[in-house]
Amino acid sequence: MNKQNTITLVESLLIDYANGSLPLALEVLVETHISMNPESARSIQMLMQLGGALMENSEPISMSEDSFNKLMAEIDTLQDEEKISQNVVSNDNDELPLPLRNYVLDLDLSKNWRRIGIGLAEQVIHFGDAEIGSAKLYKIAPNAAVPSHSHEGNEVTLVLSGGFSDEYGTYGPGDIAIQETGAVHKPVADADGECIVLAVNEGPIVLTGPVGRLLNMLIK
Amino acid sequence: MNFGVVAEINSSLDSAMGSGSSNDNQNNLSEWDKLLLLVGSNKDRSAFKKLYEHFTPRLKSFLLRIGSDVSAAEEICQETMIMVWRRAETYNPESAGASTWIFTIARNKRIDKLRKDNRPLPDLNDPSFYQTPIDRGDDLVQRFQEEKKIQKALKTLPPEQAKLILSAYYEESSHRKIADESNLPLGTVKSRIRLAINRLRNQLEELER
Repeated sequence: MNKQNTITLVESLLIDYANGSLPLALEVLVETHISMNPESARSIQMLMQLGGALMENSEPISMSEDSFNKLMAEIDTLQDEEKISQNVVSNDNDELPLPLRNYVLDLDLSKNWRRIGIGLAEQVIHFGDAEIGSAKLYKIAPNAAVPSHSHEGNEVTLVLSGGFSDEYGTYGPGDIAIQETGAVHKPVADADGECIVLAVNEGPIVLTGPVGRLLNMLIK
Repeated sequence: MNFGVVAEINSSLDSAMGSGSSNDNQNNLSEWDKLLLLVGSNKDRSAFKKLYEHFTPRLKSFLLRIGSDVSAAEEICQETMIMVWRRAETYNPESAGASTWIFTIARNKRIDKLRKDNRPLPDLNDPSFYQTPIDRGDDLVQRFQEEKKIQKALKTLPPEQAKLILSAYYEESSHRKIADESNLPLGTVKSRIRLAINRLRNQLEELER
């Protein structure tokens, strides 16, 4: 996929992130991307400011009667439970970007890798989300080449560490690469370290699912 | 607002914002930002009520415009305001104005509702998160200017472009409806929205010069 198409698709992903229509795995991927890429963070900030402005400009429509008092009553009952529900456990593996750690508590970069080729290993990520085909981490050894492959489903890849190059470009930490269904590429990891990427694939089975529709739509 | 209230807000703000808070800084806060800070610092119920009465009818209206039904919209409003009450102490006016902050919470609440498995987003997913990678010096002044510029740009948009901008926030199903009604491929609808957003961004950059 050429550079301009990739930029276009990332812009669309950011808009869908802002309006909340991404499936969980892609939402986490985009959130992680934002935490690593100031330019995209800036775009999201602008989209949130714009959303706030559009909300504030909307012609007021009254809430049902007594809704404020009902809310305060609820707040007073909730007061005691507050501490429990705010108790978020985050993965303490600090090699990973924070958004990913917040969602995927059992992720561990030191183990769970399954070797799938020379210099290449994967681990499946469980988002507890049935909407998605698959989400995986891939680890590519320095200078290792992933055998040329095509994709059965559209795939969005985010570089978490290191970098790689393929026929279409070079990608470093925080960069997103997108492979369309049927696209063939041969990624090669940079020489100076191993490369870890997060790849979300719509999978061959769920072409009619929300992700398939989303990506098909993005790519059209 | 009478003078007594202003004095009270300003003195509470000094404690809420620390000793670095100056009149200059307060000039860059909207009335709503100040009220939100009061809720954060004092759990001030009358400040919270003012916020509620200002924002919920607008948020409800906005949610209806982007595709929620009435009961979902009201529920999201209530859940959002519970979160506003609980998280107000984490509100940082340098990152976002009250309307941006509340919009972002409402966005998360709406996703929680739409998501099939109903697994809520982590609470850590609060709006201040989005600003963490950005460091641009005089944050409060700059943030205030940016939000003012967006309001200014929105006022001058041609109606067709304003409609496209709003539809960036539509639910997925509404995008499909537009595509059906206008007989356009969904991808075309999406790219028009993207172009409208880019055009607005360029307009904002020109306002900066």
